[in-house]
Amino acid sequence: MSYPDASPQADFAAAAEALARHVLGALKGTQEPPGPGAFLAGAADTKAALAAVRVLGPDVFAPLLLTGAPFGAADRDAVTEAFRVFPPLPQDGEEVAWRDHAAATLLARHGGEPPGAAPPPVRVASRPWREGARTLARLAPLTLPGLPGPFTEPPAAHLLTACRGLARSLLRRDHTTAARLARWAALAGRGARRPLDVATALRHLELCGGSGARVALDIEIARRLLAGREGRTG
Amino acid sequence: MTEPVAEPVARLAHTMATRALGWLHHNRERGRFPAETTADLTDPNSTYKSLGESALAASLLLREGLASPAEQRLARELLDFCWSQLGNGDLLYERQVQFPAMTDPLEVYGPLARSGYRHRRLHELLTHLHGLTSQRGTEHVPNRRLAVASASRMAGLGDEADWPALLGATWLGHTPEPWAIDWMTAYCLTHTVFHATDWGARPGDLPAHLREYLETWLPVWLDIWCEVKDWDLVIELLIVDACLPHPRSDPEIWRRVAAAQHGDGLMPRSGEPVTEDPDEAFHAHHHTTVVAAIAGALAVSRHRGAAAAV
Repeated sequence: MSYPDASPQADFAAAAEALARHVLGALKGTQEPPGPGAFLAGAADTKAALAAVRVLGPDVFAPLLLTGAPFGAADRDAVTEAFRVFPPLPQDGEEVAWRDHAAATLLARHGGEPPGAAPPPVRVASRPWREGARTLARLAPLTLPGLPGPFTEPPAAHLLTACRGLARSLLRRDHTTAARLARWAALAGRGARRPLDVATALRHLELCGGSGARVALDIEIARRLLAGREGRTG
Repeated sequence: MTEPVAEPVARLAHTMATRALGWLHHNRERGRFPAETTADLTDPNSTYKSLGESALAASLLLREGLASPAEQRLARELLDFCWSQLGNGDLLYERQVQFPAMTDPLEVYGPLARSGYRHRRLHELLTHLHGLTSQRGTEHVPNRRLAVASASRMAGLGDEADWPALLGATWLGHTPEPWAIDWMTAYCLTHTVFHATDWGARPGDLPAHLREYLETWLPVWLDIWCEVKDWDLVIELLIVDACLPHPRSDPEIWRRVAAAQHGDGLMPRSGEPVTEDPDEAFHAHHHTTVVAAIAGALAVSRHRGAAAAV
């Protein structure tokens, strides 16, 4: 099937916000049915909705991975169609390649095509902290449980970088990046002493970080990672 | 033991310090008190404050022993000028007599006294006031209380301060959320470290948990204020770095700061254009040039200390 190519980037961004609201509702148990199939079925602009599925990538599986929400055939078909309409490109950077690989890996577990080979590992620990934090933010969807790790080092090796990046982003009022890095700070700090209180930073983000659904979704996922509530409902 | 500072940073720091000293010395007459100035100082944050800051910078350059004979002469002449403008201490004495609760005469006198400038009656008065219960109860903000304790130590009045308690009362002492800092709080933090370590002379006096906190978050704060070219605060944060047992001396930050310094030594306080009026430029950028001289001197000193320790 082909779709009219009239969707400007603003429509794609609006669709990504709408899908983030959908996924957030699914995480909180207020969105029924929870998967991306229902989102696609209800969208007025199908192409923009498919773009949104590609933009959120692995995060459309977050309700499944974090709360055990169902992920059915319509959901599988929605993600498959999104990959068909917006295929990965050879010139994509390492972070995009890893997000695509993670989404394809999850799709394969639910009846999709097997993913290709994993991209080369991402090296963060050897980079200056600011550069490393930028990479971590772009890889935020890979903090979901059960995904292949993009690094040669364990996540704990990136705790300081994630926390410095989180503090920097909050000071710069870059709430999008802050919420993404909070996910890594939550994950990487397990079993270690975090240099900052991630829960407090998340509350601050929630109160001062605007009303964007994508930021709200990252906050909710970070909270669940912080609490170690993966695989449980509620 | 200190970590070696990268050689290029040491060179940048030395150039920055000597240029800044040259500018402070060359323009010192612009910081002269107006005629008929009296000890009540209608605007103590102007000439009076600048004189105290020039004296502090010159005293630290001499303390660190880094200057060439020519630079030592400039630093000494700058101190002489400041002392002379202060009436060889008379103005400080008269101000302290008129306003016994004020601490600024002591804070200006401390670096001068340590550099050999003494005023007998002022010293006796300060010693007396230092012993008053009233002074211990003065309602300073916490980092200012540290400033007074540090000045008392510099002036040789005694050092009975409860440094851990003073530090604990500051913003830094609470090791707060690093993202909650703002511009004014950052200045409170820098001064907390300056006074607690006596401008880098006692890096070990910072408790381990505060050293660790600063080592963790200084890179973030330097980054964000460097991004907006707030050179005054960036350089104060570089002084904080030089006050730590293991300065990070980020070469990228040093290169950016050094590139902002004018050829004549003026260090602009921000990325905004500098006025062409030399008197306006002196008053607008004097403080930043003072901190540039101090930051450069301390960074070079730490480098030399590291080399000597090898």
